[in-house]
Amino acid sequence: MSKIIAVHSYKGGTGKTLLSVNLAATFAKNGKKVCLFDLDFRAPSLFAILKAENSEYWFNDYLNNTVDIDKVLVNLSDRVPGNGKFFAGLANPATEAIRDMSSKDRKWEMRALGRLLALRESLLIDQSFDYIFLDTSPGLQYSSINAIVAADFVVVATTGDRSDVDGTKRMLKELYSLFEKKTGLVLNKVLDATATAKKSEMSNKVKMNYQVPMLGIVPCFCEILRAEGNLIFVQDKAEHPFTKILAEMARKIESNEVN
Amino acid sequence: MNILEKIEESLERLNDKIEVMIEIQKNGNENHKSTSALPEASLDVMTLLSMPDHLRKTAMSICRCSRATAEEIAGQTRRARAVESAYLNQLVIMGYLKKERKGRKAYFYIDKETQG
Repeated sequence: MSKIIAVHSYKGGTGKTLLSVNLAATFAKNGKKVCLFDLDFRAPSLFAILKAENSEYWFNDYLNNTVDIDKVLVNLSDRVPGNGKFFAGLANPATEAIRDMSSKDRKWEMRALGRLLALRESLLIDQSFDYIFLDTSPGLQYSSINAIVAADFVVVATTGDRSDVDGTKRMLKELYSLFEKKTGLVLNKVLDATATAKKSEMSNKVKMNYQVPMLGIVPCFCEILRAEGNLIFVQDKAEHPFTKILAEMARKIESNEVN
Repeated sequence: MNILEKIEESLERLNDKIEVMIEIQKNGNENHKSTSALPEASLDVMTLLSMPDHLRKTAMSICRCSRATAEEIAGQTRRARAVESAYLNQLVIMGYLKKERKGRKAYFYIDKETQG
C-alpha cells in the first residue's frame, strides 16, 4: 500500500503544489492523519499557500540534522473539516536558506535521503501517520530524486505542452522506471475536458502516449486561477468539480486502483 | 544436479573469492593508509541512477535498511541470498558499502561517518 506519495513533474507550473495541498487535504478530510512536506527548496511556496510564514523550524533544519521531525511539523488540522489531522513541514523561504540548499554536495544529499527514508519509521510507524506527501521541485533536482526514491508512489503532473509531454515521457522511462516506482499520471490544466466522452477519449490517448496508469484529468478552472493560491480548494469549495476530481484521485490511491 | 543449484554454487565460490579480495584490500589499506586503493564513494541518488540495474536494486535496499545481511536484502529483492551476497560484495569493492563480520554473519552498511 502506498503510504509515501511524491508529487513531481518535468516542468514547473504544472500544478504540483496545488495538487499536493489538495490531495493531502482530501485525505485529511476523509479522517486520515497526513503530513505534507515542501521539498521545493529553490522556490518554496507551501508556507504562503498554507499561511504559515512564521515557522520556528523548517524542513531544511530536519534534513540538516539539526532538529527532530517533531519540531518541524506545523499542525494545520483546524484548516480542514472533519476529524482528520493535517500537518506540514515547510521549506525555508529566506534567500540565505535557498542559497544554502542550492550549494549542498553529494554527500549531504546522500544523508538527506537517509533522513527522508527515516520518516517512514518516525512518522508512519511511531506516530501513526497514514500518509506522507512530498511536494517536489520540477525536473531532475537532487531533492526531487531523493523524494522519488523515498516514495512508494509518484503522482506525475503534466500538461498538454509539447516540451512537457516529451520531458515527462523521458522521465517515466529514465527515472521512475529505473527506481521501479509506481506512478499515476495527472493531466492538468486541460481545456474542454468537461464532457464525459471527451474525457474518456483523452484518457485513452494519454494512456497510449505515456504507457503508464492514469490518475486523473483536471480541467483548467478559472476559479482556481482567480483564487490566486489563497484557498485550499477541497476545504473552501466542497462542491466544486475540482474537489470531486481530487476525491476520486484520493480514492484510487487509497484503494490501490491506479491502473 | 539442477542447473540453478549449480549456478548458486558457482556464485558462492565467486563470493568467497571476493571476500578474500576484500580482506586483502582491507589489510593492504591498513598497512598503506596513504595509498588507499579505493576512495570512499557516496551512495547518492545520482550514483544509484548510473548503476547497472542489478546493483541498483541491491543498493536501494541497503539504503532503506541502512544495515543488513545478504539474507535480509534477498528478502526484499526476492533474489537468491548468494546473488545478493555477490552484489553486496561488489558494492563494498566499489567503495559504496562497508562490511563487518559479527560471528558467522556478515553485515553490510553505508558508512555515514566516512560518507559525510
